[in-house]
Amino acid sequence: MGKSWLRVYIIKRLIYAVIIALGILTITFVLVRVGPSSPADKYLANLAAKGQDIAQVTAAIEARYGLDKPIWQQYIDYIGNLLRGNLGWSFSTSMPVIDLIKTHWIYSFQLILLSSIFAAVLGILIGIYSAVKQYTKTDYVFTFLSFIGVSIPSFWLGVMLILVFSVKLGIFKSYYDTALPLFSLENLKALVLPVMTLGTGMLAGYVRYTRSSMLDNLRKGFITTARAKGLPERTVIGKHAFRNALLPLVTIIMFDLGSIVFGGAYLTEIVFGIPGLGQVSFNAIFAHDYPVVMSITLIGTFMVLFINMATDIAYTYLDPRIRYD
Amino acid sequence: MRKARLFVALSLILAALFTSIACGGTQPPKPAGKQGGIFINGQAGGDAETLNWILAADASSSGYASHTVDSLATFNNKLELQLRCLAKDVEISQDGLVYTVTIRDDLKWSNGSQVTAEDYVYTLGNLMFSDWMNYPYKSMWQEEVAGNKVFVTPQVVNATTFTITRQTANPDFVYSIYDLQPYPKYIATKYEGDVKTFTEAPEFNNLTYTGNLGPYRFKEWNRNDKYVVERNPDYYLGRPIGAPYFDQYVIKLFGSSATMQAALEAGDITHCGIEPEKVNKFMGLKNIDVYTVPTTGYTLLAYNQRANGWEGLKKQAIRQALSMSINKETVSQSILLGFGQPAFSFLSPNSPLYDDKSVVKYGVGPLYDKEKAAEILYQEGYGVKQENGTIKATNKDGGLLQLVLVTDQASQASQDIALQVRKELLALGIETRVKLVPWPTLLDQYVRNKVPGSVKEAGYNNGHDAVSAESWDMMLIGLTGGLLSPTSAEVVFTTEGGMNYFGYSNPEVDELFRRLKTKEALDKNMRQQLSSKLSLLLSQDQPFDFVVFQKANQGFQKNVVGIEPGISMWYNYYLWRFE
Repeated sequence: MGKSWLRVYIIKRLIYAVIIALGILTITFVLVRVGPSSPADKYLANLAAKGQDIAQVTAAIEARYGLDKPIWQQYIDYIGNLLRGNLGWSFSTSMPVIDLIKTHWIYSFQLILLSSIFAAVLGILIGIYSAVKQYTKTDYVFTFLSFIGVSIPSFWLGVMLILVFSVKLGIFKSYYDTALPLFSLENLKALVLPVMTLGTGMLAGYVRYTRSSMLDNLRKGFITTARAKGLPERTVIGKHAFRNALLPLVTIIMFDLGSIVFGGAYLTEIVFGIPGLGQVSFNAIFAHDYPVVMSITLIGTFMVLFINMATDIAYTYLDPRIRYD
Repeated sequence: MRKARLFVALSLILAALFTSIACGGTQPPKPAGKQGGIFINGQAGGDAETLNWILAADASSSGYASHTVDSLATFNNKLELQLRCLAKDVEISQDGLVYTVTIRDDLKWSNGSQVTAEDYVYTLGNLMFSDWMNYPYKSMWQEEVAGNKVFVTPQVVNATTFTITRQTANPDFVYSIYDLQPYPKYIATKYEGDVKTFTEAPEFNNLTYTGNLGPYRFKEWNRNDKYVVERNPDYYLGRPIGAPYFDQYVIKLFGSSATMQAALEAGDITHCGIEPEKVNKFMGLKNIDVYTVPTTGYTLLAYNQRANGWEGLKKQAIRQALSMSINKETVSQSILLGFGQPAFSFLSPNSPLYDDKSVVKYGVGPLYDKEKAAEILYQEGYGVKQENGTIKATNKDGGLLQLVLVTDQASQASQDIALQVRKELLALGIETRVKLVPWPTLLDQYVRNKVPGSVKEAGYNNGHDAVSAESWDMMLIGLTGGLLSPTSAEVVFTTEGGMNYFGYSNPEVDELFRRLKTKEALDKNMRQQLSSKLSLLLSQDQPFDFVVFQKANQGFQKNVVGIEPGISMWYNYYLWRFE
């Protein structure tokens, strides 16, 4: 019965999540439809080359996808289909939206997961080391590198990595090959450059946050007490200082995860030709593929809400004093 | 006598020998190239929308499908007709109303059944012309009869022959026929009448029906990533020689041209387009061949002749003066680094209908003349003479003449050309405000127009009184020029043209376009004359400044052989192979 309040809290958050998602969906639905263009605009050059009347083609395409109906009618149709579990048909890729997402989520997921692990593990280790060895040459080097890492735009880093490791050295392929088996060394190798590209900025940030948070805790009285009690330095740092430094770090890592899920990975996907959800959503926005835009917004919303909830729950384990009564 | 008999016998032996050699043609010749390898074609544009190409309005969808299904005919680099599914060229009746199409008798669907004239007629009559499908390009198959748009009439003659009958002549109509691809009637009838099921039909979305109709067969399409087709050993054109030679042909999509070109340099892909500033670098690479080829794409500077544009632009002389002050050689050489060609007409210089003598060449040679341009502006009341005798362009009231030039912010070339135009016009005293806007905004706020106060939705040409939401004077934009079919430009230049967003109107131009779609234009000489006259008229009238025709740079790995560089270089790609 220990944490029954937590169950109530989770149920409450889930109800809020549904209400928030509906609100975001409605806003997105209206925004994408009142935007300054039509799905047929992208055909302009092709139609002009063939001497076609764009007004006629626009009317034909809008009629085919039901976009000529009043907006409220389209909204009701969309919500009705959604409640029946039908995310619709993607007219820019000619497949059911659910299949499109099923095919592409894995590319984003593996990239985000590996980048997050790479950044979090290395970032925290380097951050702890820097804090413990404050003002040493190594600390200065890590601090300098982390500032560079935070400042480098990911698309620039990606292109540079390709030029060095693919074009000049020929170690890695210049783009991600989707034909590789998911659980294979070749796939892992193909993800090295994308993970470095996406993870470097996060890693540098984690180094800075960990170092700062650790220094904050290392100066506190309970660390002096622990050392006075004769505890080994590893226990003082690992168990006492780091555990307390972890709380703000969890917030930042989870926040980062939320932002890359919502599009931060897009640039890396573009640079390495990874057909993940970032690319899918970007292309869908430009193609006015409303069913895809809506579905990815819905998924993104739930994921961010879920990550926030997971963060809140993680707090209660990291700091038993926290309760959400 | 014996000698004579010997001579006859020897002659017979020799004749038999020569005959047997000559008859060697009936034996399939040995394959001309080595089979194998994967050709990876890098593309930085968007993906196709569907393989169910009849529903698509984008160019990529038809392009993807065309690897597996040939059209009736295509054209080579010299724009000579190349028969594909046609057994012989389309026969056109004397009055230009009946087109007789004869297809090959060895075309097969995947189930082994013959592709017949019935399939083509069904594709036209039951699919393209149907109400339920909303085929995007239906107007290619329509004509105006007594003020109404009606479809042409397709009819089966026999298994390999069908006719298409028009009520009015239109010499350009034959090009629509050459582009025709068939749908299999035996499958399509299952989905006929219901656009939803037709859209989602697995046979069409996976191209499972294509038989021997194309050099390749569908293998895989991973959206936003790659489209893969594999060698079709039964391809009707390739069977005698073993073509195509590549085991697979892959279209690999890239999010940026920088990474795509890096992939070419690294040897990870076989081909991609090269940007002008990178051409020298790639030409210096030992593993890459770069071919510079003409295109039909051209950049134009549209002059807004609607009510919300500068009033001077309604005058032909003013438009000529502005075009006269923009140096097209500078744009071609300095901005496009030599990969452009000054444009003077909507017709590409590669078009057989293009007549270099029938265009007025504003912006080059003697017609690049700022002094003359200033003088014209002065004569028209848009300039003042300064103390040093030079003329400064002004408004009617003598005030500063300010114009707005709008262009798409995503195109670096357009931005550079816009700044060059600004510099050139500044020399006349015209202050140009360059507005760089996103493409959707450009279309919505500057291109689409409506009559103020009207409830009718904004369109690309809502009549003489319509204006765009934002005012503009000049617009840099790209269009595709005509090669074989001059009337495709009708939508841009005629008063009622659906793409005439800049408000141009010249009854003489309207009339020439009309005449090009009549019986008199069936005569090749008359068609040439009408096209030349139209080209001349438009180059004089300057509804917009035709700035440059672009050239494309195509980079290939050096081990690809069989390429014939030119405006239509992919026409024989099924013969390409690796060394």
